[in-house]
Amino acid sequence: MSAATTRMERLPGLALALACVTALGLAAQSPVASAEPSSGAPSAPRGGLHPMANDAEVPLEWMPPGSARSPVPSDEIFPQQSLPLRFNHKKHVKEMNLSCKVCHGAAYGSDAVTDRLLPNPEATCDGCHDVDHGDRQNVKAGADPNGQCTFCHLGDDAGVGGRVAPVVIPHANLRFTHQKHLARNIDCAQCHGQIGELELATRDQLPRMAGCFACHDMSGAAQGEARSNCDNCHLTERPGTLLTTFSSGPLRPPYWLHNAAHTPDWIERHKGVAADDSAFCGSCHSASYCTDCHDGKVRPRNVHPNDWMSMHPQAARQDNPRCTSCHAEQTFCADCHRRVGIARDVAGGNRLAGRRFHPPPAEWTTGPRSPMHHAWEAERNLNACVSCHTERDCATCHATKGLSGGQGVNPHPIGFESKCRTALARNPRPCFVCHQPNDAALRSCE
Amino acid sequence: MTARGWRRPLPRGEGVSVALAALACLANVGLSREVQAAEYELNATTALQGYEITSPWGDIVLERRRFTQTLGAGAYHLQGDYAPGRADYSVVLRVRLDADMGVNSHLPDDGETSFRDQTGAHFVPGLEEAPFDLMYGYVEGRNLLGGWLGFRAGRQYVTDVLGFWSFDGGLARITTPYWFQVELYGGLEQRGGLPLSRPRYERQGIWRGSHADFGGSGEPRATDYPSYEYTQPAPAFGAALESAGPTFVHGRLTYRRVYNQGRSLTQQFPDPTGGYRNAEGLRISQERLGYAADASFWQYGGVKGGLSYDLYSQLVGSLYGGLEAHVTPQITLGADADYFEPTFDADSIWNWFTKSPITTLTGRASADITEQLAVSASGGVRMWQTEGDPDAFGVGECQAAAVASPETCVGRVSLDPTDEVRVFARSEDARQTVTTRDALGNLSGRYRWQSATLSLRGMLETGARGHRGGADLSGDKRFEEGRYGLGARVSLYDWADPTRPDRDATSFAYVLAAGYRPSSIADFRLEWEHDMNRLVGQRYRVVALLDVKVLP
Repeated sequence: MSAATTRMERLPGLALALACVTALGLAAQSPVASAEPSSGAPSAPRGGLHPMANDAEVPLEWMPPGSARSPVPSDEIFPQQSLPLRFNHKKHVKEMNLSCKVCHGAAYGSDAVTDRLLPNPEATCDGCHDVDHGDRQNVKAGADPNGQCTFCHLGDDAGVGGRVAPVVIPHANLRFTHQKHLARNIDCAQCHGQIGELELATRDQLPRMAGCFACHDMSGAAQGEARSNCDNCHLTERPGTLLTTFSSGPLRPPYWLHNAAHTPDWIERHKGVAADDSAFCGSCHSASYCTDCHDGKVRPRNVHPNDWMSMHPQAARQDNPRCTSCHAEQTFCADCHRRVGIARDVAGGNRLAGRRFHPPPAEWTTGPRSPMHHAWEAERNLNACVSCHTERDCATCHATKGLSGGQGVNPHPIGFESKCRTALARNPRPCFVCHQPNDAALRSCE
Repeated sequence: MTARGWRRPLPRGEGVSVALAALACLANVGLSREVQAAEYELNATTALQGYEITSPWGDIVLERRRFTQTLGAGAYHLQGDYAPGRADYSVVLRVRLDADMGVNSHLPDDGETSFRDQTGAHFVPGLEEAPFDLMYGYVEGRNLLGGWLGFRAGRQYVTDVLGFWSFDGGLARITTPYWFQVELYGGLEQRGGLPLSRPRYERQGIWRGSHADFGGSGEPRATDYPSYEYTQPAPAFGAALESAGPTFVHGRLTYRRVYNQGRSLTQQFPDPTGGYRNAEGLRISQERLGYAADASFWQYGGVKGGLSYDLYSQLVGSLYGGLEAHVTPQITLGADADYFEPTFDADSIWNWFTKSPITTLTGRASADITEQLAVSASGGVRMWQTEGDPDAFGVGECQAAAVASPETCVGRVSLDPTDEVRVFARSEDARQTVTTRDALGNLSGRYRWQSATLSLRGMLETGARGHRGGADLSGDKRFEEGRYGLGARVSLYDWADPTRPDRDATSFAYVLAAGYRPSSIADFRLEWEHDMNRLVGQRYRVVALLDVKVLP
């Protein structure tokens, strides 16, 4: 800081003063100026009310890198600002050849987003503007129009009663060091765009995450500090879990990152992202967030709607949503089914005589296969069967005759013979449920 | 609720909890030089739920009076000051008691959980009144050795294209400077019936649990429930090769193998001597290989896809892919495909039953209409396949059985399979793949204010196998800077199942909710649900939730 100050002191006072305008009012939430507005009207405004003259659109090439992906900066990372100021960067940078460092020298030593990076008006503005900010409680406007409060401060009552509207620039919700970036010769425009081409620099000139990834696309060991790990820049609540709740709203991933825009149908789409890169999900979500649904004990209403208890049989039949994503069928589903007697292999007291869940046997099991036959339902969605039935239910017919206790109805698919050798070698247990070890059919798989 | 149901699991859990807490303390003492920089977290979630479940015949009414309590603890930055990218140690733990005080309540005794009562007339093997489990608990190190090494030790999850899975053991992750990382893990799969464990993470198809009470006087024999398998520790290991670093592309190749061991009843019915055969020894439970990847090109859109191959069943169990086009930063169009064929634990017979994939093709549009309003819609087709034509197969069987008139045969008589019928049923000509289709669609919308949200979710799936359609409209509003909250949800659904026309229904339901946040560490919510349909008449559900989170 002292070095920057020393250098600034060597610069022409006029230039320093002109450069300081942005800081007017920053020093205090409600800075008080003792100066009364000059009776003489200030000179006509010279722009500085908008980024471009006549509020024209800023060309994309002057915007911060990444603006094509993210036209506006994140509300959560960069909260809204209030800038009741007129300032012309272009005039100061282009016409007066002032570098960014003249006014924003503090950035070169800044290691945190909470640092004040805007100039002190008494050190930078007052040299050229006919005003004295030396005492913030007693700012003295000079006679020159460029020293009047309204020359820089906006509002009908700017300077009235010695008050100007406060400039509010909340600090970014980030972990960021200007010092390290500048030390690596990453100049201001690389993150903020061509501010020297603009008049008023607004929040729109704050960086976009997409622009950060021009460098921060690296991870892991020996790749410097420009890692892409989220907690490299984002605030964390605990290791690896980002702080996502802000007064301006919840932080969510942008649409272009992992195709993970949290759209209203995200619950249906998240599988593809979580299956590929669960660590990415873990950047914001703790394990318990996932288990609330995937191992949950309270029905999540965003997954299963109201009256799910009545509706779930048809949903299971349609496999929508897929039950096995969150439930173990033999226990979660079947335990309840056993209790109310829906399952077949169930205690006699829970399944009273005459109770039948499926169509009559002639249609469902023992008859020629009508469209209502269980074989088709099993082929289409075997998981639905498994949510009620145990192996013994199937073995009743599908096991071989004789000691295995079945009727010898072959349930295997076409082409099974080409797989059975490997299956038998790796786990013979299921084979022995339906076949005796001396079964000729089984020996053909040995 | 029996005393036995409460007493049995708790001491185990307490022991483990104490041990893990002690481990956390020891880790902290051993690793931390700047203890003041470490952070701690305690959290708890309490859920009370009350509702009824009625059997389809109305003769059994289960009261669900559930009390679920989770307790979590975490100690972070045990090494002292935290700096991103530098070595960092943490310990986390979460345990859960999931009690249903309605178990047995519809019976005069403890018949559901005790075989002795009514000689097993209502006994459900493995059913517990108050299971207590360790959801996760592990020590973790990140960014060790200059960022090369990370590890976890304890009960933990692995989430990838092979599913959401839990095991007890160790995991090491080696991150290289060459855009990839390697993950190796091994241990024991979490299985129901083992201490502090639940069956959620096992492969489907095997009913498995503790036989601790079996075999005693007045207790069931294992052969009374031949499909209820013994739980044994299941050795498991896996590896993954994953890209690291680039944000526009990511891929993960993953492999996992789990073993079953110990004794398993195979024969489901007794032989003439009353005996049952067993299988014993180490054998495969699952062996799967998967790959998933995504790439995003912000100017155009993105692509993602994945598959898992079951090496035991020798088939692709799941395959999915999707394309997204960013028409504008606010509008995305997409197309997705999903292919799924169920596979099971290798102990299960169902891997080798005839089963066919379900294939879903959808198109999708999503728009952020304003900063507050977002809408997504999708529609497509779900295809169900069978080996053979359901409309013609039975006719062929009747002809093979020489039954003259299919009209009096199909669906009307029981057929004693003759050799001719068996030959017909196995012939490839009769088992050509036939596809039936469901049309499906979804509509979702969301409107957000600073302290309120309004959401819509609608769905439709319809086809030869019945239909289901309806929508939920819900809203939540917080007041007084979030201290108070109100919520409501209304829904209207209609469904029909041609195999069970007596269960068709139209349902109207609503939920009213109120919340209170007495301080920044606690959040309370009370919900009242009222469902109305012709099957159950009126059904009510009350849910009370309390979240507490303390950062000492």
